[in-house]
Amino acid sequence: MIIDFTHIIEQLPELVRSIGVTCMIWLVGTLGAVVLGFFVTLGLRFGPWGLRWLLSTYVEVIRGTPFLIQLFLLYYGGPFIGIALDPMPAGLLGVTVYGAAYFSEIFRAGFEAVPGGHVEAAQCLGLTRAQIIWRIQVPEMTMLVLPPAINMTVILLKETAVLSIITVPELTFLMQAIGSQQYAFVEAMAVLACFYWAMVSLAGRIGNFAEKRLSKYTFSHT
Amino acid sequence: MSWKLFALLVQACGLTIAISAISIVIGLLIGIGVSGAMLSRNRAVSWCGRTFVSFFRGSPLLVQLLLIYNLLPVLGLNVPSLVAAVVGLSLCDAAYQAENMRGGLTSVPRGLLEAADMLGLSPRQQFWRIKVPIALRLTLPALTSEAIMIVKASSLVSVVGVVELTRMAQDLAASTFRPLELFAAAGLLYLITNWTLSRLGRRLERSFSWGIR
Amino acid sequence: MSSVNPSPDCAISVRGVSKRFGQTEVLHGIDLDIAHGQVTCVIGPSGSGKSTLLRCMAFLEEATAGTILINGEPLGFGQDANGQRVRLSPQRIREVRSHIGMCFQQFNLWPHMTALGNVSEALKTARGLPKAQAEERAMAQLRKVGLEDRAGHYPSQLSGGQQQRVAIARALACEPKIMLFDEPTSSLDPELTGEVLKVMRDLAADGITMVVVSHEIGFAASVAHRITFLDQGRLLLQGTPGEVFGKPRHPRLDQFLDTYLDRGAAMLV
Repeated sequence: MIIDFTHIIEQLPELVRSIGVTCMIWLVGTLGAVVLGFFVTLGLRFGPWGLRWLLSTYVEVIRGTPFLIQLFLLYYGGPFIGIALDPMPAGLLGVTVYGAAYFSEIFRAGFEAVPGGHVEAAQCLGLTRAQIIWRIQVPEMTMLVLPPAINMTVILLKETAVLSIITVPELTFLMQAIGSQQYAFVEAMAVLACFYWAMVSLAGRIGNFAEKRLSKYTFSHT
Repeated sequence: MSWKLFALLVQACGLTIAISAISIVIGLLIGIGVSGAMLSRNRAVSWCGRTFVSFFRGSPLLVQLLLIYNLLPVLGLNVPSLVAAVVGLSLCDAAYQAENMRGGLTSVPRGLLEAADMLGLSPRQQFWRIKVPIALRLTLPALTSEAIMIVKASSLVSVVGVVELTRMAQDLAASTFRPLELFAAAGLLYLITNWTLSRLGRRLERSFSWGIR
Repeated sequence: MSSVNPSPDCAISVRGVSKRFGQTEVLHGIDLDIAHGQVTCVIGPSGSGKSTLLRCMAFLEEATAGTILINGEPLGFGQDANGQRVRLSPQRIREVRSHIGMCFQQFNLWPHMTALGNVSEALKTARGLPKAQAEERAMAQLRKVGLEDRAGHYPSQLSGGQQQRVAIARALACEPKIMLFDEPTSSLDPELTGEVLKVMRDLAADGITMVVVSHEIGFAASVAHRITFLDQGRLLLQGTPGEVFGKPRHPRLDQFLDTYLDRGAAMLV
């Protein structure tokens, strides 16, 4: 086996572009998942029973089926019900919907971890439900929710690789193409793995840093 | 959807379950070994363990599968794609199991090991007879989630040519032009499998509670 | 009593043992001899270092200085040709430890094995006995502590007193010459201490060498051949119960006993 990385280096502009695509989908998708997930949690806690049934089915289905199947349903099955999306928007939507289900579980656990007494105190003092959520519960649960949320963010980064299967032009897609064109598939995959590994380690480190910084503001519950 | 199509999916689901089960078992065995390595006092050994876990948890399974699938022939091992798929899944699973087991092993109360020390059990005997069984029980819930994760992850071996549930659904969808029904049916089968795994896990937790209700 | 050098004829001989945890000195140069067949009770206030001393005798804590001989053989640390303190091999440590059986405050029974499993485990694994033989010996020990009908129960299905008795049986199964007890009844509800103390009294009557760290002053006064009183890491008093508890008492001991009057020390007043 001759390791020859020159082929890979030749394609630097395309590489940079696809890294950009990967990061964009990752960050936008994660943001969307966090926001959507939070509202799903709110819906599950405070919504009418019909909405709650719908949302909990959604969460169960997303968490119980492979991401790839969800993507296929959306991308290949979508046109049959009027949703004809290009690979990129489909990928973005897929990541958002997938991540939201997991984030909603994380936020649910966070809500339950906030001591009931704090909420009762706020209720007695006359705060509205919205005020209680935003001024009491969300700040208190932020620290508790941070580790699993960072973990999930990292998982979403790794899942963007799966988007290559529906031809989204992100990094894995490009590296597969480079690898097979230049007969340097193993090298390409090795470099690809190391890239994600580095990104994940970096993300993890940033996450730890954020945790430490924010822990200054923790309240000691128990 | 015709029964014939559904039957094909169910058959492929069987392969999915088989692949997942084998990978989980192999992964658990490797994982116990790797977690032992991570906790070893030998710095080189623990570094190897930690790097293994970091790599296989830090890179996407898809990339790992593609890498292993193409690497094995280059190393002279011309194995069928099924074997390459199982190798890839097992290694990935092993890294997650190792991390779970490491947490479990360090949670075993020290007093239990001191008692073993006093009764003359060697460190290796303590590891296999005391630490591992107790750690396994402590990590049983994580093990169940891991199993469910592997079943879902097994959908990716479709890209290396193994005709498990996802690949079967893809092929059938392409030939019948009915992707919605087929992928929905495949999703349903995954849901049923995972729900069953979850129930199994809870029953296991109850049977191995050693008298604790 | 003690010579400068440790006595090889004693069951346990402790010389100049000190122990430091970080900056805190917990034991200061303890000298102690435990004769064969004797029951020695180590008493003292919390923080006096008595558990630490016992654990040093079992090498569960490593003494920062000093020597410990078990049946004349050094435990944990020995001396090389130049008289320097050297750490002995794990193999050697295990050999010397095989003369000691230990009973913990938290019982430390393995939760995934039945009572019989716990008692027979060391015989099977560490001593290499075949299963049938190991279980036979284990049953004999369980019979001795009165729990043969609970052999198939898991620790979580046993009361605290029963668990501690199984733990004693487990230690006895390996036929040690010396039994160490680290506050064996401190974790038990008061109604359950009686059954454990009875087993310990029977053991003492059998003539086995015992070192007991305990707050059970009544037990100490009635069963022990020697009492050792530790205070702030120093050995303040030792002697027979008559000598130690007899009046006039050391003021520090009086102070200590005051707090334990309702724990059986009333009989001494």
